[in-house]
Amino acid sequence: MSGAAVTGASGAAVTGATVAGATVAGATVAGATVGQLPQAAYAVALSGLPLLGWARLAALLDGREPEAAWRAVLAGQGARGATVEAVCKRGPGGQKVGEAWRQAAGRVDVAALWSAHASLGIGVHLKGEPGYPAALLGDAQAPAVLFSLGRIGVLDAPRVSIVGTRRCTHYGREVAAELGHDLAEAGVAVVSGLAYGIDGAAHHGACASGGGPSDRGCPSAGGAPIGIVASGLDVIYPPRHAKLWQAVGEKGVLLSEAPLGTRPDGWRFPTRNRVIAVLGQALVVVESHAGGGSMHTVEAAAARSRPVPAVPGSVHSPASVGTNQLLADGCHPVRDADDVLVALGLEGQPPSRGRQGPRARAGDESGPDAVVLRAVGWEPTALDVILGRTGQRLGEVAVALDRLVERGLVRAGGGWWERVKAPRRRARAGPGLSAGEIDIL
Amino acid sequence: MIASIPSATLLGVRGRSVSVEVHVDGGLPAFNVVGLPDAACRESRDRVRAAVLSSGLTWTLHRVTVNLAPTGVRKGGAALDLPIAIGVLVASEQLPASAVEGCGFIGELGLDGSLRPVPGVVSLVDALSTRAVVVPAPSAGEAALLGRHVVRVARTLRELVGSLKGLAPWPEPRPPATSPDAGSSPYPDLADVRGQPLGRWALEVAAAGGHHLLLVGPPGSGKTMLAQRLPGLLPPLSPEQALDVARIHSAAGRGTAGGLPTRAPFRAPHHGASSVSLVGGGSGTLRPGEISLAHQGVLLLDEMAEFPAAVLDALRQPLEEGVVRVARARASVTFPARFLLVGAMNPCPCGEGSVPGRCRCSPAARDRYARRLSGPLLDRFDLRVAVERPGVRSLLGGEPGEPTPAVARRVAQARAVAAERGTACNGELPARRLDEVAPLSVGASRLLERRLRAGALSARGLDRVRRVARTLADLDGSFGKLEEEHVCSALELRSGLSGMAAS
Repeated sequence: MSGAAVTGASGAAVTGATVAGATVAGATVAGATVGQLPQAAYAVALSGLPLLGWARLAALLDGREPEAAWRAVLAGQGARGATVEAVCKRGPGGQKVGEAWRQAAGRVDVAALWSAHASLGIGVHLKGEPGYPAALLGDAQAPAVLFSLGRIGVLDAPRVSIVGTRRCTHYGREVAAELGHDLAEAGVAVVSGLAYGIDGAAHHGACASGGGPSDRGCPSAGGAPIGIVASGLDVIYPPRHAKLWQAVGEKGVLLSEAPLGTRPDGWRFPTRNRVIAVLGQALVVVESHAGGGSMHTVEAAAARSRPVPAVPGSVHSPASVGTNQLLADGCHPVRDADDVLVALGLEGQPPSRGRQGPRARAGDESGPDAVVLRAVGWEPTALDVILGRTGQRLGEVAVALDRLVERGLVRAGGGWWERVKAPRRRARAGPGLSAGEIDIL
Repeated sequence: MIASIPSATLLGVRGRSVSVEVHVDGGLPAFNVVGLPDAACRESRDRVRAAVLSSGLTWTLHRVTVNLAPTGVRKGGAALDLPIAIGVLVASEQLPASAVEGCGFIGELGLDGSLRPVPGVVSLVDALSTRAVVVPAPSAGEAALLGRHVVRVARTLRELVGSLKGLAPWPEPRPPATSPDAGSSPYPDLADVRGQPLGRWALEVAAAGGHHLLLVGPPGSGKTMLAQRLPGLLPPLSPEQALDVARIHSAAGRGTAGGLPTRAPFRAPHHGASSVSLVGGGSGTLRPGEISLAHQGVLLLDEMAEFPAAVLDALRQPLEEGVVRVARARASVTFPARFLLVGAMNPCPCGEGSVPGRCRCSPAARDRYARRLSGPLLDRFDLRVAVERPGVRSLLGGEPGEPTPAVARRVAQARAVAAERGTACNGELPARRLDEVAPLSVGASRLLERRLRAGALSARGLDRVRRVARTLADLDGSFGKLEEEHVCSALELRSGLSGMAAS
């Protein structure tokens, strides 16, 4: 599939890894001498060094082979050279990173690390080498080394990033899942970060779609989920998303800038967000608090002139402050997947095409429980507030709410209520994800 | 010469009669106290001797032996000072035996011969079967609560000896003042609470049915304000309940000088409370804890999630049984502890998490916070209500809510209905009587069946919902089958915890 991908056939054996024209056959842990390892192995070792972000790694690899860079690090000369010094002047470690790298590198068994990646089938892609995703190649901040698990080919499809807050409302979660699903159905690869909240919901929706390579039997077909993670590809974070993590890896691809075993340190998340911004041809923000982490992704996307459409939310909802601000600043509103496709220029349909909105069916507003239904907002509403709005007694309201829940028009949380869209036709459950897990996404 | 003086000692909140036997006879001068006295009681020797001498009386130059019968029971505290002193005076023939006949003595002595009050006078006097009883002047009110004895008071030992000999008249005990809280309730009025229809309703239901209540809401939503108004809604104490309460408060050293309490007590310990201070006990004398002081009243645990888990779990057994059994190596006592528990807590560490999207906590932090209340404890709360900050309009322009007396009247009516069924309140309805007392209408049972099938309700939760629904129906004045409306409301009133619902 790609030049530097390592396909682990059996245990530690690496077969046919072609790196920079050199064929390395049968490089095993036991038999491997340093000279027999491919260049990619040194790139893996380098990317695992401490105090090393994407900029420093790029500087280390600037103008030399990974093996040469590794030997320089081992000799304590890692931070020498104009490019590296310029990068290391700022940030943690400062001028002492060379020494820190030397000490860390002394403890690394390059061959063992390489064979670990091989045995798990992790693809290792070096910038500038064949097999490196074209989608990233043109970017100034592209990762020098990229790790993949799954089908890297799905990156050739049109891609849309969906991001948002971890502390989302049910509305945000629902919209994200719908967008993820509908975009995947339309053949768009959904890029997100597998975090709690919006990220997870978007991928959950995408995984639930019928599209994707596994169904069509065509590896280059779109609609596959693309998960960008901040930890090593074997360090599942957040742990509750283990099933989703696995589903994304099977249907699409998981990408990381860090080698196996890397902890999800706090600084890796903003770095990861930059990859999400680069990969998506558009960045959809579903819900974001004022100054939330999603806004960093927005800045990164805006700096690259990517369209940043946003989902409008209630002006009362703290979770929509950021997105509503984006809309006020002139971003395009997203009502459904079609809006995103138009923003991408994929769909020729005019925006005014007689939508099925507003989302509640007209009949819902006039039913026997209409008063209570109107009192329940589209954002989470406390029972206290509903009682105040209706002026009815608790008993009447409680019975009406129970009926509305039965009809699927209202959703109950702990002590609060919100209206939901009328039930849709298709099943929403994803592969291997139960209703309970949808709740915690 | 030998003398035997009736007195009593305190065991938990119960009094136990003790006969103080004093023997004075030949032999080298000595003074011994036998019969399982504890440290404070053993020190009586020194206090009694000094008090006798400073009262202008003589200390006998013979061997004095004091026996506290029955000898098997451990005696604690200083309440036996006075009977020992009187016994010594009688046995050394400074007081005629006839002067103390039919009279019990309770009190601590100062070195100057003054009489000091002791805790638990109500129970101590209760244990005495004599016609008259002598207590320190400040305890006269407590001693008179029972009304079975002629209560005599004294301020000093010298004065007491004079009165016993008939040389001076008995000092008049202060006339029992009318209770300060007899007329008006000492608790704040519910009319002060603006808005909060759900919180107010929950208070009414809790008071009417004796259902434990958990209030969950962000800071400033008025949880504490609501909870403080709950005891005012409870009916006045009956004479028996009042005596129980007086007994406990007296044993805890909180005198009830103003006569029998009439209002339900209210206790709100800080969340730094230790488990002993909450359930009772202690290394020396076993004292009642906060839950016993809240007997027949309200125990508010504000910021409930901040209490140590072990302290909270110590509440489980008393909540179930209405008493707390404190066992120590030497003694085991039972304190009454039938209280209405009100918990107040934030929905999550940042406090804003009752509605999604506003909270700043990570899911893991929310989980940890929710786990601070164990499932079994959470299960004891029939009512779990989410309260929100009242809106600006209800704070500034809203009409004042219904005042306490109006709500208390409805509560009293509902309680009267429950009492006719033979239970004090619906919260204590035994499960086996539910089918008879709380039958379900067709609609109600269909609704519950749906919830049960959906896994949203457990078998135990079902019983609790039916109890609350019974109270709701009682408040409504519908005494037949439980309607859908009541069951539905009962379900709503326990839905106030998203992550913690252990239905």
